[in-house]
This record gives sequence, structure tokens and C-alpha cells, in this order.
Amino acid sequence: MESERADAAALGREALAYADTLYNLARYLTRSPTDAEDLVQETYARALSAAHQFTPGTNLKAWLFRILRNTFLSHHRHERHNPTVGGLDTVVAVAPSPESARWLRGDVELDRLRKVVGEEIERALESLSEEARTVILLDLEGLTEVEVAQVVGCAVGTVKSRLARARAALREKLRDYAP
Amino acid sequence: MTCEEARALLLDARRGRLSAGMQAALDAHLAGCAACAHENAADALLGEALEGRLPQHAAPLALKRRLAASWSAGDALPSPPPVARPTAPSSARAAWGARWRRAVVPALAAAVLVLALVPLYYRQAGDGGAGMVTEAVNDHLRLLTAQHPLDIESGGIHQVKPWFEGRLDFAPVVRFEGDADFPLRGGAIGYYLDRKAAVFVFNRRLHVVTLLVFPAQGLPWPRRGLERIGPVEAQVTASRGFNTILWREGDLGYALVSDVDRTDLLALLGKLAASS
Repeated sequence: MESERADAAALGREALAYADTLYNLARYLTRSPTDAEDLVQETYARALSAAHQFTPGTNLKAWLFRILRNTFLSHHRHERHNPTVGGLDTVVAVAPSPESARWLRGDVELDRLRKVVGEEIERALESLSEEARTVILLDLEGLTEVEVAQVVGCAVGTVKSRLARARAALREKLRDYAP
Repeated sequence: MTCEEARALLLDARRGRLSAGMQAALDAHLAGCAACAHENAADALLGEALEGRLPQHAAPLALKRRLAASWSAGDALPSPPPVARPTAPSSARAAWGARWRRAVVPALAAAVLVLALVPLYYRQAGDGGAGMVTEAVNDHLRLLTAQHPLDIESGGIHQVKPWFEGRLDFAPVVRFEGDADFPLRGGAIGYYLDRKAAVFVFNRRLHVVTLLVFPAQGLPWPRRGLERIGPVEAQVTASRGFNTILWREGDLGYALVSDVDRTDLLALLGKLAASS
């Protein structure tokens, strides 16, 4: 019993090191500082009650991400079924409109990407679907495709295609901020 | 290799995940396909923008303290009301209330323990000052996003420094008064990890530079990677798009944080150190 408590305390100290990372993901998922705080707090509460299920030696950050995302989805089921950008697995890559294709091909896109500022990227990212935001942010956090697959509960190959489509969708969104 | 196959490999290629043969085949394709070369360049720029410019939101310190308290108590604090959930059923509210009551005693105990746990966590997670850099950047971000970041607007260092008297249990030693390159905007009381800090805010053109001054004792100061800069030994790091300089002088610790160039930040350190 005592050793279990000691293990949980050690896990807690390690888990606390990811508070900033989890909060950042929560901010982009909920788009609200208050909701993000609630989400992170509930994530830690769930992690604490499930601490015995964590396998030592595995990726704690990925485990916490999975709890956070599942917690978020349990409160936002509707968003999953009504994504801002179509489901990343089911939507076949749609050929861009001629205007869009010209823009994407041209140097103007590269110039724009060089000059885009943080606030614009943030707004563009927040306008994507939950799936797209999640894979982009988990990838940014340095999770491997295998770890991302474990967090979001899909096949590794699916992660690769989701990530590619999400990044393409983000580039398309950034076009909206072109001067 | 088709364009579709090539584009599926672009991200892996930039992250060095391809075999030599696959990389060579991709390189050959990119050399002869302007559309895929453009796609590669655009996605690389998107990656740079995401990694370097996407705002990173740090968890509020109050949240961290609550999290530390919940774990140290060995029981969760009451889960917050569901995120943006419609009205909860009454049974759920009753269950929530019961959980809240059960958590009161451990939470009170946690309030005592947290003062010891938070610094312990930072000491253990410190790994050569990384935790200190993270906290300095978080404090800088909090200041940037605060509606009223300054408690005292600057009328010069001789107006700002006396303002701290009686508000801190130490005297922040900062003799640099600001100048045309780094005008002093003002000061505020802040927190650095588990202790109060004097916060001085300078400007560098349109950029904000935060200087935190706090008691140095008991923190996991970096011992490696230090650079001799004038009279002080400092650790200069880049983290999450911000440059950070940590150093100590006597009993006080200093953290300088900004998104200005490293050379600009070192120039300010030179002025601060030369004046002390």
C-alpha cells in the first residue's frame, strides 16, 4: 500500500512536469483559457485515479495526452461529428479550385508563409477540426507516429495521412490571411 | 516515383526517417518536379512557422499549484464541472458535491504540502536549469498576456526600485536605469517558482524584455554550459522561441527573457552586470 502511494507520488511529480504541455494542447482544443484549465484539471484527476494502469517505462506524456483528449471528446462529441474541416480519414483529397491551385503553386504562398505571424497561425489552427488540430499539435510535441496513433486511437498509417491532410488544410487556411 | 508517392514522403524526409535509397529516389523526383519541390518548400516553411511562431500557452501558476496539491493529497481535487457541458443531471451534481466534501480534508492538507512539493518538483525536474528556464519563459508569457502587466509605471529606476520596499522580503539589486536602447517601462511583483520576484520590464524597440530578480537560494541552478559574460557566469538558452539568460549575483538570482535577438539580450545583460 505504502509503495503504491510512493509510486503514485513519483508519477505525480513526473506528470506535473507536463502541465504546460497539456495546458497548451487543451487551449488549442477548447479555444478557451477557462475550459482549458478545467480540462487539464479533470485530466489530472482522471490520471490520478488511473495511476495504477500506467505502465512504467512507457511514454507518460502520451498517456496523459490520451486521457486529455478522451476527456475533451467526452464533452465535445458534437464537434467530432461536425468538424469545421471534413473528417480527415474519409475525405478524399479534393482538387483545389483553380484560383487556390494557382496561389498554392506560386511563390506568393512561400512569401506569405515566411511572413505569417503567430496570431495568424493560431487563428488558422483553431479554425481546423479537432482531429486536425490534435495531430498537428501532437506532432509538434515530438510524439512519434506510433505514439500519436495510441493517443488518438487509430492505425499508424492513418496518422500519417491525417497529418498530411491537416497540414495541407492549415496551409489553405493561411491563404485566408494573405494580404 | 509518382508525385503522390513523393508527397507522402516529404515530412519523413525532412525528419531524416527515410532510408538512403528512398531519400535518393525522392531527391531525384524533386529535382525534376517543380510542383513537388514547391510543395516541399511550402510544407517546410509551414513547419518553421509552427515550431517558431505558434504561440505556446503556459499553464497558470495557480493551476499548477492545484494540480500539485491534488496529487500530493493522494486524492483528486474535485473534478471541475464538465467542460462546456450542458446542465448536469441532479444525480451527477449530488455525486460531484459528495466528491467535493470528500476532498476538502485532503485538499486542506495539500495546501500545507504544496509549499514543499512544488519546489521539490522543480528541483527534480530541473536537469541543469531547464525547469528554471521554463518558469522564466512562462512568467514572461504571463506578463505579455496580462491586462495590466505593470504595477508601477516607470519614471526611472529611482522611482521603480523604492516602490518594491515593503512589498518584498529582499531588496532587488538593479542599478541599470534604462537608456535609449533599453528604456525601463516599469515594474511589478511576480512569482518565480515558489517565491516572490521583482519584475522589471524593459523595451527593446517594440519588443518586451522581462527581468526577474528573486532570492537564489534553494534553486537548481545550472552548473554546466555557463558562459563568462563580463563579471557574471550566465546560462544563455533559447526555448520556445524566447532567449533566456540565467545568472546569480550573491544571494540574488536573475532571469532575463525576451524574443529579441541573443545579441540584444546579451547587450542588456552587459549593462545590468556593469552597473552592479
